[in-house]
Amino acid sequence: MKILSLISASILCASVSVVTTADGHGKGYPFKNEIQARMNVMNLYGYYLGELGAMAKGQSPYDADAATRAANNLLAMAKLDNTTMWPQGSDNSVPALDNKTRAKPEAWTTYPEIVDKHKALITAATTMAAEAGNGLDAVRANIGAVGQSCKGCHEAFRGPKLKGHSH
Amino acid sequence: MRLYKLALTTCLAGAVIFYWITAPELIEQDALPEHTVNLTNGEQMFWVGGCGSCHAADGASGNHKLLLSGGLTLDTPFGAFVAPNISPHDDGIGQWSDLDFVNAMIKGVSPEGKHYYPAFPYTNYQRMPVTDVLDLKAFLDTLPPVAGKADDHSLGFPFNIRWGLGLWKWRYLDGQSFEPDPTLEDAINRGRYLVDGPGHCGACHTPRDRFGGELLSSYLQGASVLEVNEHTGEQSSGWVPNITSDDNGLAEWTQEDIAYSLETGFTPEFDSFGGSMSSVQDNIYHLSASDRMAIAAYLKSLQ
Repeated sequence: MKILSLISASILCASVSVVTTADGHGKGYPFKNEIQARMNVMNLYGYYLGELGAMAKGQSPYDADAATRAANNLLAMAKLDNTTMWPQGSDNSVPALDNKTRAKPEAWTTYPEIVDKHKALITAATTMAAEAGNGLDAVRANIGAVGQSCKGCHEAFRGPKLKGHSH
Repeated sequence: MRLYKLALTTCLAGAVIFYWITAPELIEQDALPEHTVNLTNGEQMFWVGGCGSCHAADGASGNHKLLLSGGLTLDTPFGAFVAPNISPHDDGIGQWSDLDFVNAMIKGVSPEGKHYYPAFPYTNYQRMPVTDVLDLKAFLDTLPPVAGKADDHSLGFPFNIRWGLGLWKWRYLDGQSFEPDPTLEDAINRGRYLVDGPGHCGACHTPRDRFGGELLSSYLQGASVLEVNEHTGEQSSGWVPNITSDDNGLAEWTQEDIAYSLETGFTPEFDSFGGSMSSVQDNIYHLSASDRMAIAAYLKSLQ
């Protein structure tokens, strides 16, 4: 009996430690800085697009200066050379990165396709920056192209969500 | 001897019943209504039906989605399904009659009388009124013919036995056409038709049982990605989101958020759709704003 409970206790300990490791709380993982940095970049894209989008959706009043500022910021973000955030081997086929990144290996194996898709974002953001101050209709007319460029990468190079995880 | 006879009779009766259950069921010519084709509606059915997402070449976008050469492969736990050519060419559906097309869409049966695999979502398409199916056929006939047959499916035993699909249909194909619910608003009914019928949202967003039938008790409540990794054959750990108005689904999305996401591809956080939803959104973009709002109204009505 004693031995039995000892065994079950150690199994319990083992499973708890497995759970903790798999969840990654308090643990490092390969390319943690790079992966977190690129997710932060994505969040900032979403932030500036959200300012434009709130106007496009009619949730906030159109303001030419605010629209231009948001579009300029989006363009500046898009133009950053973030190559170092995308090291080889930081994709979702790496077991240690399960639940850490949704970047698919195809982002690297089909290189330079991802560069072309990123250029589409710069092109769309450039037009948006030039047009955003010209009225609400201009914002609405150009936000679709920005969305298309976002989807261009996310369709090809981002894997699905994982159950119970927000990213 | 009497026992032997009894056994033989039972076997024969069993075979007859098996044949009766598994034989492809067809709609007859005289059941087709008189119908004046509406090409505009046919085009709408094409886009909401998502034909181009599977039947155009892999990765096709824009006008290339109108070239229905087939060829996209779905790698599933049952094997690899390859979408066939459905362009109006002799290699596609160029020689099909209206009745052939109706039987394919609603009964899942080919012009040669064979069962189609439910990777072709006829469990959803069966909800379409025949008139919408005829409009869709008329629209497909206006598209460019593309030569070339796609590869055959590559399935393991027992899934390669098409007769078995008769049993599958007996269990999962209920033969019901869409009926509006008089207690619901018109917009919700319209959305329910588009989502449950041609839009076949449940094909990805509803979990499936081990025979590949949709678990309707968890309708649109999210599902594991069905496709397997084409290189490793392993099941994906990916998750297709819950799109009901549940807390785990679209509770925090307004009806306008849902319609806007279907129009532009942007979520309320201004993340964008990706994966196969990207192609779906490109299709839904072609619908009217009121149809997108109807889809959103229906999804918001689902608890």
